[in-house]
Amino acid sequence: MQSKRLGWIFLAPTLVILFFFGVLPFIYVVYVSFHQWNPFAVNPEMVFNGADNFRQIVFDQAFLNSLGVTVLFVVFAVLSELILGYFLAQAFMRDFPGKAIFRTIHTLPLIVAPIIVGSVWKLMTTPSIGIIPHYLDEWFGITMNIGTSATAAFATIVIMDVWHWTPLVTLTLIAALVSLPPDPFEQAQIDGAGKRQIFWHITLPMIAPAVVATVFIRLMDALRTVDEVWMLTGGGPGSATRFVGVHIFKEVFPKTNYGYGSTISVIVLYLTIVVCWLLYVTMLAPRNKKD
Amino acid sequence: MKKKSAIVGIVFWTLVSFLTLFPIYWLFVISVKPAVQLFSTPDIILSDPYWGNYAKVWGDRLLRSYMLNSVIISTGNALLCTILGFLACYALSRFNMSGKESIFFWTITNRMAPPAVFLLPMFLLMTTVYAVGEWSLLDTRIGMILVYCTFNLPFAIWTLRPTVDGIPKELDEAAYVDGASSWKVITEIIFPLCRPGLAVTLILTWVFAWNEYLLAATLTNFNARTLTTGLSEYVTTTGTEWGIMAAISVFTLIPALIVFGLVQKHIVAGLTFGAVKG
Amino acid sequence: MSFAFKIGASALALTVAATAAVADGHAWWQKAAEPYQGVTIRGVTESSPPSLYIREVLAPQFEELTGIRVDVETTSWDQMFDKGIKDMEAGTGIYDMVYIEQDIIYSYLARDFLTNLTAFLADNPDLQAPNYDEGNFTTFADYFKDADGNLYGVPMEAFLKVYLYRKDLFGDADIQAAFKEKTGRDLVPATTHDEYSEIAQFFTDYGKENDLELWGTTAQAHTGHVASWYEYYESVAPTFGVYNWGIDADNNYAASVANGGAMNGPEAVEAMTWWLSMRDIAPPESPASTWTEVGTTFGAGRAAQGLVYGENAGWIAADDSKSLVVGKVGVALPPLADGVLDAAEAGEGYIGYYDGGAFGMPHSSKNKEATALFLQFIAQNEVQPDWAVAAPRVTHTATYDDPKVVAFNEELGGYYDLIRDKGYLFAGAPAYPFHAQVREATAPIFYQILTGDLGVQDGLDQMATAAESTLTELGYRK
Repeated sequence: MQSKRLGWIFLAPTLVILFFFGVLPFIYVVYVSFHQWNPFAVNPEMVFNGADNFRQIVFDQAFLNSLGVTVLFVVFAVLSELILGYFLAQAFMRDFPGKAIFRTIHTLPLIVAPIIVGSVWKLMTTPSIGIIPHYLDEWFGITMNIGTSATAAFATIVIMDVWHWTPLVTLTLIAALVSLPPDPFEQAQIDGAGKRQIFWHITLPMIAPAVVATVFIRLMDALRTVDEVWMLTGGGPGSATRFVGVHIFKEVFPKTNYGYGSTISVIVLYLTIVVCWLLYVTMLAPRNKKD
Repeated sequence: MKKKSAIVGIVFWTLVSFLTLFPIYWLFVISVKPAVQLFSTPDIILSDPYWGNYAKVWGDRLLRSYMLNSVIISTGNALLCTILGFLACYALSRFNMSGKESIFFWTITNRMAPPAVFLLPMFLLMTTVYAVGEWSLLDTRIGMILVYCTFNLPFAIWTLRPTVDGIPKELDEAAYVDGASSWKVITEIIFPLCRPGLAVTLILTWVFAWNEYLLAATLTNFNARTLTTGLSEYVTTTGTEWGIMAAISVFTLIPALIVFGLVQKHIVAGLTFGAVKG
Repeated sequence: MSFAFKIGASALALTVAATAAVADGHAWWQKAAEPYQGVTIRGVTESSPPSLYIREVLAPQFEELTGIRVDVETTSWDQMFDKGIKDMEAGTGIYDMVYIEQDIIYSYLARDFLTNLTAFLADNPDLQAPNYDEGNFTTFADYFKDADGNLYGVPMEAFLKVYLYRKDLFGDADIQAAFKEKTGRDLVPATTHDEYSEIAQFFTDYGKENDLELWGTTAQAHTGHVASWYEYYESVAPTFGVYNWGIDADNNYAASVANGGAMNGPEAVEAMTWWLSMRDIAPPESPASTWTEVGTTFGAGRAAQGLVYGENAGWIAADDSKSLVVGKVGVALPPLADGVLDAAEAGEGYIGYYDGGAFGMPHSSKNKEATALFLQFIAQNEVQPDWAVAAPRVTHTATYDDPKVVAFNEELGGYYDLIRDKGYLFAGAPAYPFHAQVREATAPIFYQILTGDLGVQDGLDQMATAAESTLTELGYRK
């Protein structure tokens, strides 16, 4: 149809920027991941150690543990956001007075920076003084202490994430629902299909691409979560909320363990890509190819 | 019947809004409390506000320059990512380039990288490679605009792709038949049709850049420091200045709120990533 | 009065005072700085009150005097280290001055990041200010010297982690009587751990019985932040006779008892058990408390006694915009096990943490001459008293006798006297170039002891093992 050269020209700036700020640093990280390197070791230089770091990672209990809690966090948070976001999006499909105002309110959490989100939730959940534990205790006699209870800390972080990011999911799904053609629904109603049947057989398949794309963005962002957790629990109690992002941060910042920290990052990046790729090829790619 | 559902809607959304707003309300409450009251028994109702934190924040010349940097960096980055993302999507959508689906997927992998470990190579590249003589990209606004492309450009491409895909090809073909240039087709046909999607991309990339902390904390020192890094100045070994942090946070919400409010309508009309029309 | 305000106010006062005091030297500074007019020097530091004082007061003053501009980047505690290290490691030369916390100096010296200030000034006699003398510093400056006595950093803050107690509660006749009835002892600040426990338990019960928001002790026992690790190793373990984290540097850096270390020895176990028992009767926020929250807890009047960083002792005792216990704070030496005080007197041990920091000049600095001038400027005796009042810290012996400081010492419950008279009993962090590395390697296990996932003995055993394997990995342990 048109010259492919023009296409490449349009794509070029993107590729150039991502090459210089994405690929080059990545190559460096891969290079470092094959070395032992801590600037405060007796030998502060990079020492090539082959695949030793990669071998070590398989037996690294701390890393595997952090991977485990991360997966748990991602599953809980993203699933809750998806379900909640879907229902809220459906609720927005109806007309009621003040809808625009409510919609604006509902998007507000998106504009609060993660580091601030972490600070506010920390103040709200400080044991015995924060407003949440205080009233939980006063009204229901429940003791909530994010410093001692792994469950409380983990749940707080999930709830915080849900509070922060559900609006993104809602917005995406509203857009998807708005663009659905009405005919299949009318037809189904004429055929006497129930609400549940309509959802499973008509709505869901039609909004699947939007759902997958949303999960996709949320998934990779949730995997990178650092700021909020850093402010709220620092990864504690114990290692209950030491997600990979936090784990890597502690490995390369205070511990200056650049070599091994790079190895962990490469592995985490690889796992993320694999998961996302599977999602992509099974759900999204066929539709894109169709065009 | 109709009236009843309207009431249910309002009640339901008032409840949801209360939950949504509460942490933001609490942020405000913290910002109008003197430090000495922070560790006393909390009260849901605000009484006797103290505006000293705002006075301090307003009078701080450094914070004003941080605010300016934040606005320039986020706006510059959002514009750059939206425009480049749009062009890239047009290329991916309309040209039969080999391996374009792989390129499409590859772009998003740039957003997946755990940021902590990429700070060192970024720092080294910006100070030594992307430098001319005494000048380097480190601690410059343009440097931060480019760095933020690593997570925002992929996002823009992924948000805009379905929008561009959704515009029937027959439209551009008809224009070409009429003798229009490629440039004309893009600017006069595709671009206007994508406007809602572009608005959404612009605002969301703007928000991501506005909220970023870790990269800015490491890669800026004096000239390009942003508001989020300014916030971290108040976390110290002699105590965290919660009140001032909260006051700054409330300030940071204002520009974001303005930008966000302006494009509310477009967001709903335009957020269609994934929602590919058959 | 808030410190922020004080800084502003004393900026004025100081300009006047300093103008008079430094009048003779005025001409010297201008002449010495002449070649460096228009130069900008840059520093990075934590945004603590002493550093803010440099940024807001001393730097503008220096610029006015010399025409050399000083930009001070203030940032958070973790960012500060990372930024300084990245700059010096890569030799970029972004910073002319870096904040050196006492515990990181050995890492920096081992990597030869810093300029030898003694030698630099000796080599450049034109830059040596007439009123600058290394002899002006307190002994805290010794932490920033190498084996030959060369100075690598100009001390700018120094604190003790002290035992704070509530004078008003300890002096209350009813409380004293109740305490006497319950324990048979007089209510005075504790000198042993048992006494401390007794007082802590008494006040926690007292708070409960009288429905007060009051507990018997603070505990910096965060379960995911290194603050808890520090409280144990800096302030609790030494009082039980476990020094230098229980690692024996002269014995191939042994940590475990089996190899000759003390990290998991009986004293360490006793210390940990005691500290955990204190944590359990401390306010409920303690397991989520870093140094920030401990200061706030004490300042909010929620604890009757506790070990509190000197950085915070200042505002707790004197800043009524932040603290509810102004004028009600007393300071004392921490409670000790038998023999620890004798060991400290003999120089074989220490009873707590002498904390602080200095400004050093990286080798990679591109403006060493101008920087050397500024470092001497902030090291003058003349600028110290106002600084000590605005942001409580003392680094010069002469400062203690200044009338302003003497008066302020009263407000602080004698805190400055304690530093002057008893400072020698305290010590900074051990001389380890692997400070952060071993800390980070052992901290996750430490947190598990705090959460109860690991028993004390078991946890300390694992920490000793982790410390040794990290030291081996880094090449220190052969």
